[in-house]
Order: sequence, then structure tokens, then C-alpha cells
Amino acid sequence: MKGRSVIVAVALAILGLGAAASPANAITTDFDFGRLSKQVEQYSLVMEMKLELSFGMQTTEQEITLLATVVSKDGLVVFDGTTLDLSDPFNTFSSFSIKSTPTRIEFKTLDGSTTYEGEYIGNDRYTKIGMARIVDSTGTEFPYCKFSNKASLSTGDWVALYYLLPEFVSPRVGADIGMVSTVIEMPEKFPMIVGFGPHELVSVLFDQNLNPLGVLGMLPDPASGSADGSMRSFGGDDFPIMGLIGADKIAQLVADPPVKGQIVRGWLGITLQALTRDIQEFFNIEAGGGIIVNEVMTGSPADVAGLKVGDILIDVNGQAIEVDTEEKLPVFQRRISEMGPDTPVEFTVIRTGDDLVDTTNVTAILGKAPIAATDAEEYENDKLEIKVRDLVFTDYMLYNVEPEEFSGVVVSELEPGGLANIGGLRIGDVVQRIGASEVNSVDEAKVALEALLEKDPSEVVFFVWRNNKTMFVNVKTE
Amino acid sequence: MKRILVVTAALSVLMLAGQARSQATQEKIYRARDRVYPALVHIQPVVKDYNTGELKKQAVIGSGVIFHPDGYVVTNYHVAGKAARIICTLWDKEQVQAEYVGGDPPTDIAVIKLDLSNHPDGIPVAEFGNSDSVQVGEQVLAMGSPLSLSRSVSSGVVSTKDRYFSSDVRLPSGERTGRYNLWIQTDAAINPGNSGGPLVDLDGRVIGINSRATLFANNIGFAIPINIVKRVTEAIIADGKVHRSWIGVHCQALQELEDYFGSDRNRGVLVSSIDPGSPAEESFIKAGDIILSVDGEPVSARFLEELPVFYNNIASRPSGSEITLTVLRDEEEYTFTVTTRELGDLQGEDFEVSDWGFTVKGITRQMKIDNQLRDSLGVFVTGVKRVSSADVGGLRSGDVITQINKVPVQDLGDFITRYGELSEQTGKILLTTRRGGAIRLVVLNLDKNEEDTLEG
Repeated sequence: MKGRSVIVAVALAILGLGAAASPANAITTDFDFGRLSKQVEQYSLVMEMKLELSFGMQTTEQEITLLATVVSKDGLVVFDGTTLDLSDPFNTFSSFSIKSTPTRIEFKTLDGSTTYEGEYIGNDRYTKIGMARIVDSTGTEFPYCKFSNKASLSTGDWVALYYLLPEFVSPRVGADIGMVSTVIEMPEKFPMIVGFGPHELVSVLFDQNLNPLGVLGMLPDPASGSADGSMRSFGGDDFPIMGLIGADKIAQLVADPPVKGQIVRGWLGITLQALTRDIQEFFNIEAGGGIIVNEVMTGSPADVAGLKVGDILIDVNGQAIEVDTEEKLPVFQRRISEMGPDTPVEFTVIRTGDDLVDTTNVTAILGKAPIAATDAEEYENDKLEIKVRDLVFTDYMLYNVEPEEFSGVVVSELEPGGLANIGGLRIGDVVQRIGASEVNSVDEAKVALEALLEKDPSEVVFFVWRNNKTMFVNVKTE
Repeated sequence: MKRILVVTAALSVLMLAGQARSQATQEKIYRARDRVYPALVHIQPVVKDYNTGELKKQAVIGSGVIFHPDGYVVTNYHVAGKAARIICTLWDKEQVQAEYVGGDPPTDIAVIKLDLSNHPDGIPVAEFGNSDSVQVGEQVLAMGSPLSLSRSVSSGVVSTKDRYFSSDVRLPSGERTGRYNLWIQTDAAINPGNSGGPLVDLDGRVIGINSRATLFANNIGFAIPINIVKRVTEAIIADGKVHRSWIGVHCQALQELEDYFGSDRNRGVLVSSIDPGSPAEESFIKAGDIILSVDGEPVSARFLEELPVFYNNIASRPSGSEITLTVLRDEEEYTFTVTTRELGDLQGEDFEVSDWGFTVKGITRQMKIDNQLRDSLGVFVTGVKRVSSADVGGLRSGDVITQINKVPVQDLGDFITRYGELSEQTGKILLTTRRGGAIRLVVLNLDKNEEDTLEG
């Protein structure tokens, strides 16, 4: 008897946590789970994925199982891509990025009756939603989840989802409920939901009318614009702030799936700084915030539009840029980024002369953002056990060199104990010459190296740039 | 039974011989000790540290040895180089003041001069030996103040005499060191505090200056060969510093690259890198060139250990001299004339910007090359004091300040003048800085009330 009362007390305490903020008369569990599970079974798949994980020189294999949802009749599938995309579009300075590459994907229906082969498409940079496709040549129309953008969520609303249970359990999915704890302005609305865990990410969220509203996602970190940085201290532990990624975002992903290496981000071509209160006071400007243009890259959209070093951008397309701390910079970067290439953008610009302050309007046509190091073209040589990649924009920034004066390919991976590693090459070396051939791209590196190796030489000499100096590295081939 | 006796007898003969030898060795050790021990100096400099954004004085410990009757003591640059004042304890346990004479960061050597007003009868002086004739395996003594334990002697052998460290090794004050000398490696215990002390052979002559120990290892210490020290100390006494010629080439051992370049063994020095804006670059020397001769004299560096000879060959010429380099390029010989320049200081002078909460140093040509700066304009931030207006404004060490209130800063002198004009000012000051490739504006908020709030 005593034991039982303890259990009840614990159960009440758990309920109490979840329900504390909800109105007393809310019917919290009024979901028709019978109907819901039938609906979910139709378009949910168990996704088994083999991954190759590499961190610097180390490579390991991993296998993960996820719950995936079919989102179009031709077999596009969304899943939790956080394990796949560990890179950050605004922080790609390091050549030591962790990379994971899916090597094999298999989909199974929840009852295990049918198996399909799958193909990885890409990850959305901001939400970390992974996308894959069912490989099918028969023209089958797959049952898929039709998301609704009609309903909106407000604080206190309850939502339900299904999540994947371990393989030895039948049925494979279980239900869970969570509550909208607040609606964050990002500036887009992001209904934050409590009660769910990271293992439930990218599960379909239903309201009490069983409308699929979207999927469970993480709050994009304002410091990077993407969801991988949102492991914020939350209730004492690092825990992602989760909430609804709505139907519109998913429709956008279906219409224009992310592709590895494809440039979809808008780019202005400036280095920038927040217009802090102190800087406003120094220049005698009153604004809610803004962007100081510190550098304008030659030939960039900003340059073409006539932006100048020292210009202060205070609004974009008539909307105030409320960036008054460095932490808010990514909000602006993300806004430009998400507008996409070829978009005209109008800025109100304050130009500070010696004593006069002048306000003018500048329209720039955004360009394509330079690709990130993780998306750069790569070439791997199995004999020397080395991987090189093309130089990207951020490399020039990192090495503080001008693209016109600097060329080569970056050593991105080396197998420990491999010939290139033993020969003395290091990760991060910029290879400028292989044998007698200048090397400006991975294609040239491939041609030069393979032509040399064909002659079965006893050594290959690399001319590399390392720590601001050049040197020759002799790699023995036997 | 008989056999055992025979063996025992043989053993005792051996032991007697060994005893005789060890007695002789012991005598030699005493003699060597007596010749150098009295000239040993325990050095307690108070050094200036600018790395935390403010000038901090710190007492450190090192060793040294008197090598000149006028009171000149040789020690390490990393012991006495940044000293505000130096107190030395001599053999007679008397404490005397010393003044800093000069130093040479590339070889980590410094000279200080003792105040001998209380030693009218003179002082013991140690004799320098010849480091070229040192033998690997030769017994040596290290003397100094390990962990401040003054007048300590340890013993060992010369482990190797031609250890080379690439010039990527830096002193605590930031200078690259080690390019111009090889090292004597010894297993005589060398610990922190031994720095600057003598390594002594059994004839009682100083053959090296102990400079480095290896952390997490036992008995791997390194001394700068005395023949290098002789040249450096002479130059410092004469001129306060060592002048070196510079052409801006970095070289690499040719070993195993001869086939690639089609060059002969033991012939030539491979140029691996050229400093931007250097005389070598201006004379069209390229990475991959093999320098066969300098002014007609053949040069060679097949092995790493041969590089200091070449570097010293160039460095020892008067700056401004024209040198003729015969170079092998694409298996053809070419001749180039290069005019050397003074290498100059590796690091600029330090300055504490106390009112604004940071420290800077002037930008030398070598700093510009090392830090890959586009020009030498401005001053280099070496430290930012926590919670100062500079820290709050976002200034970081490694930044280069190029403008104050939108007016360009040429150099440290210019910066100090501008700072003098503005230091009393309250309100806001705008610094334009460069960090790597990016420009940043930093506002110093010198509003007194706000600063009080922050610090309170």
C-alpha cells in the first residue's frame, strides 16, 4: 500500500511538470490514437543507414536506425539528419571537420513486409532535416504525409507524435505527447514544445484534430542560424530547445531538396560588424541597430552595388536591421543567406564622412555564397592514402591570402600510417605542386598524381604551403 | 673450489683497476669544479611581462657564469632579456646588482654586467673551452640553480653534439630561436633554473650554456655550444646586440630530394621558402633553387644539421653587402646578386597602454612576415586586461591597431604620441583594428562611471 502511494506520487509529479502551465480545464490527452496510428503506419518507414564517420584522420563505420516519413508521392523521405550534418555553414574555417557519409540506406515498412533501397539526397542546413529518396523504377505512388498549414499552435496546446522503439519490440512505434510551452519569435514564430526528447526529432507532430502540422525540430541557434548549435543549457543540462518545423518549410524542402555542394545561399560579399550602442554613440547615430561594412570584396555583389567600407546598413527592404550586439549578427547573415542568389535587396545606408552623415539607398543583387570546405570537391588517392579538397573562400580568409596570389589543394584527410602520412604530409597542408606539375584544383591534382604513379616511381615530391612557409615533402611509394 | 678462487682473484684485480680509474676521474671532477664553480652566478631578475594586458613584474630564477674580469656574465636571453632589475648571488654568497648589457634572441644568449664595487680584489672568471672538439660520450658537469637550488652540480655525458631544432621554437617573449646554432645534448640533469648556467668539461672549461630541458623526459638537456656563445657575447659587449644580414630564404635539407632536383650529393643548399618582400624575392630567387655557392665558395646542406652553417654564412656578412649566389634551377646554373639587409629585431618594443587596458608592441619586419601582415603599419596588441574598456570593446591580443579615431597609426612612436594626447580624455575612442584578414572597429568607452561599475 505504501509502495503504491509512492508510485502515484511520482506519477503525479511527472504529470505536474508537464501540465504546470496548462489551463486547468484542458483535456490534455484527448487524442484518438487508434485513428492516428493507422494514419502514421501508412507513411512511416524504418530507415536503416550505414554511415562512414570521419574526423580528421580517423574513419569509423556506424549503423543507425531512424523513423522516417514519406513526404511526397514519388518517395521523398524526411528524417533526423543531425548525425549526418555536423558542419555549420557559418563556421567552416576548420579543415578538421567531422564528416559523415551515408554508404547504404534501406527502408522498411513498419510491419516489416516491404523493403526498399534508399538514396541520400542531402540535409537542410538550418533545420538539420535529412532528406532521402526511395529508389524505385516502377512508378509506384507512395502514400505520403500531407501536412497542414491551416492550424496554428499557441501556448498550452498539446501535440502528439510517434517515435521508433527498439527492434525487438512489436509494434515498432510508440506514441508520446508534448505541450507548447511558448511561441518564440525567431523572427518567424517557433512554437517551443516540451515533453519530447532528441530521439523523437523529425517525427510528425499532430494537433488534437489529428492534423499533421509539421515535424519536431530544434530551435536554430541565432549564433549560427542552424539547429546544430541549439544545445542550450536548459533545466541544468544541455538539452535542445525543440518545437514545430511547420508545413511551409517542409513543402519548401520537397519542392527544392537540399543537395550536397549545391549553392543555394545568398551572398553579399562584405565583412561586417554589429552597430553596437557604443559605436552608435561614437558616430552620433540613433538606430535600433545595424551592420557596419568593414570590407567589401572586389567584384562582389556589394562592390557592384557601390557599398563602401565604413557604410552602415540600417534597414533591409524597408525592415529595420536590429543588430546591436555581435550575437545578433547571424540573424542578418541568415536573412541574406535565405533570400537566395539573384534576389534584389534594398538597403538604407548611413555614410559617415569627416563630419557629415548622409543617408542613401543602395540596391544589391545577391550572389551565390561561396561553398563551404565540407562541400568542396575532393579527390582521394588510395595508394598514398590521402584526400585533398579544393581551396574555398574561407581558406583564403583563414590563411589571410589573396586568391589571385595563392593556389593549391588542401590535404583534408590522411590515413594514419599511410604512405602520405609517413612521408610527412600533414592535414591542412596546401599542396601547390606535385612532381613538376603546378596544382590548382583537385582535378589537376588527380591528373598530376595519377600520371606520376603510373610510372611506378619510388617517390613523389610534393611542394606544400604550411604555417606561412613553403617546403618540399618527399613521399616514398614503397 | 679452485676455480672459484681464480674467478674471485680476477674480479678483485678488475675492481682495483676500476677503483684507480674512478679515483682519477674523481680528481678530475674536483679540479674541473674548482675552476668554474667560483665563477658560477645565481641570477634573480625581475622580468617585465606584458602578456596579460598590463605590465607585470615577476621574479624569476636563472644561472650564469662570469667570463670576463670586468664582471661580464653570460646567461640566457629568456632569463635576463626582459629584466627590469637583476640581483645576482656570487660564489661568496654576496648579493650584487647587475645591469643588462644586451641579448640575442636567435641564440637565446644575454650578457649582464655585475656591479663590482664591493669586490675590489677582482672576481673568479671561468674559461671558455672549444665546443668543436667536444666528444660524444665525454663526461661533463652542469652547474647552476635548478629550481632555485643555487650552486648545484650535476654530472653526465655529452649525448650528442649536433642536435638541430628548426626555427619554429619560440622564446617566452615570442622570438623564434635556434636557427643559427646546433645544440649539445647532455644527460647531466638540467631543470628549470639551470638556464644560463655552464656545461663544463673535465678540464674545467665551459663548453656550453645550458638552455633547455625536456619536459616529461629524464635527463635530456640542451646547451648552446660555447663557440657560438663566444661570438655572440663579443658582439653584445661591443654593440649590445648581434647584427645579422638577412636575405629572406628558408632552407631545407637536400637529403632524399637530390633525385627530384637532379642535383649532386653534398652539393648545394635547397631554398624551400622565400619571405615576401625580402632581398631574395626582389632578386628573383625561388623556392626550389639550389644554392651551389656564395661568392664563389661552395655551400652544402644535405642534412638538417648543416643548415646553421649556411644561415650563419649569410648572417655574418655586413648588411648591405652584395653577395653572388650560384644557383641550380631546372638542372641549369644561374648567377644572382642579392643585396643583404639587416635582419633587425625579431620583436618590437613593448608598451603598456594603461589607461585603456591593453599592451602593444611595435611591428618589426620579422613580425610582419611571421604574422602574415600586409604591411608594418600600426601596433600589435600583445595583451588585453580583463574587464578593461578595451576588453569590453572587443579588442583581442593579436589584433593590429591601424587607426585611432579614424587617423592612421604609423608605428609605436606615433601610437604613443596619439595616446599621450588622448589618455586624459573620457568619452569614446574608436580604434580600427585588423584581425587576420578582417577589419574591426573597437570602441573604448572611457566614461569613468561605467568603468567603475564594471570594476566594482
